[in-house]
Amino acid sequence: MAAPTSRNVLSLYKEMMRASEKFSSYNYKSYAMRKVAHSFRQNKGETEPNKIAQLYSDAVKNLEIIQRQVVIGGIYTSNKSVIETNHKH
Amino acid sequence: MASQLSRYVLRGVRFGQYSCLIRTVASRPTVLSSLDTHSRSRRDVSPTSLLLRSDVSSPPLVALYSSTPKLNREQIQDRVMTVCKNFDKIKGDQLTKDSHFMNDLGLDSLDHVEVVMAIEDEFGCEIPDADAEKLLKPSDIVQYICEKEEVTA
Repeated sequence: MAAPTSRNVLSLYKEMMRASEKFSSYNYKSYAMRKVAHSFRQNKGETEPNKIAQLYSDAVKNLEIIQRQVVIGGIYTSNKSVIETNHKH
Repeated sequence: MASQLSRYVLRGVRFGQYSCLIRTVASRPTVLSSLDTHSRSRRDVSPTSLLLRSDVSSPPLVALYSSTPKLNREQIQDRVMTVCKNFDKIKGDQLTKDSHFMNDLGLDSLDHVEVVMAIEDEFGCEIPDADAEKLLKPSDIVQYICEKEEVTA
């Protein structure tokens, strides 16, 4: 697999952030967004094409996990925590 | 509030229409109890203007499914600048409408994606990646949104 371009990576980043926003649970949502932001920044200096391709395909798998968990989380919702009651997210 | 609503009810009854409206409004007990006390004080205005009145404090009883008023360039610029100012990695004092996100404000490309996402949320639109990577200054974003919203001035 050819190494993804920076545009591919940025578009995957955006897609993962948008997917993470959909968690109905505040906890999962903020964890996912923080984790995605952190992981991308952790590896932003990576230059080796094979490593980048590896990280990219891992991220794609994680995106699928996020999307799946958003749906499952939507089925089993719980009450809003106290910090979200007055805000729209 | 109650007198306002009772006027709506009376109008509805008088013109024999808006039956669904009457049902909604009449389900509030205060309206029914004050119905006869206000029956003599009603003014003669057309039912449509009464329903669409903007000077009343209560929200209008009909929704207008028309488009929102057009934005002008200044409003767009204000909103873009507010979004940028509220972005946690941008320091407010360094921000001008022509400051470059990466060169002047020290953001990386991931931060830039987040700024673009915040702009998307603010204006309720989607900015494709190919366009997003050209929006490197707040003024570029303003120009882009103006073109998208067809603002000419």
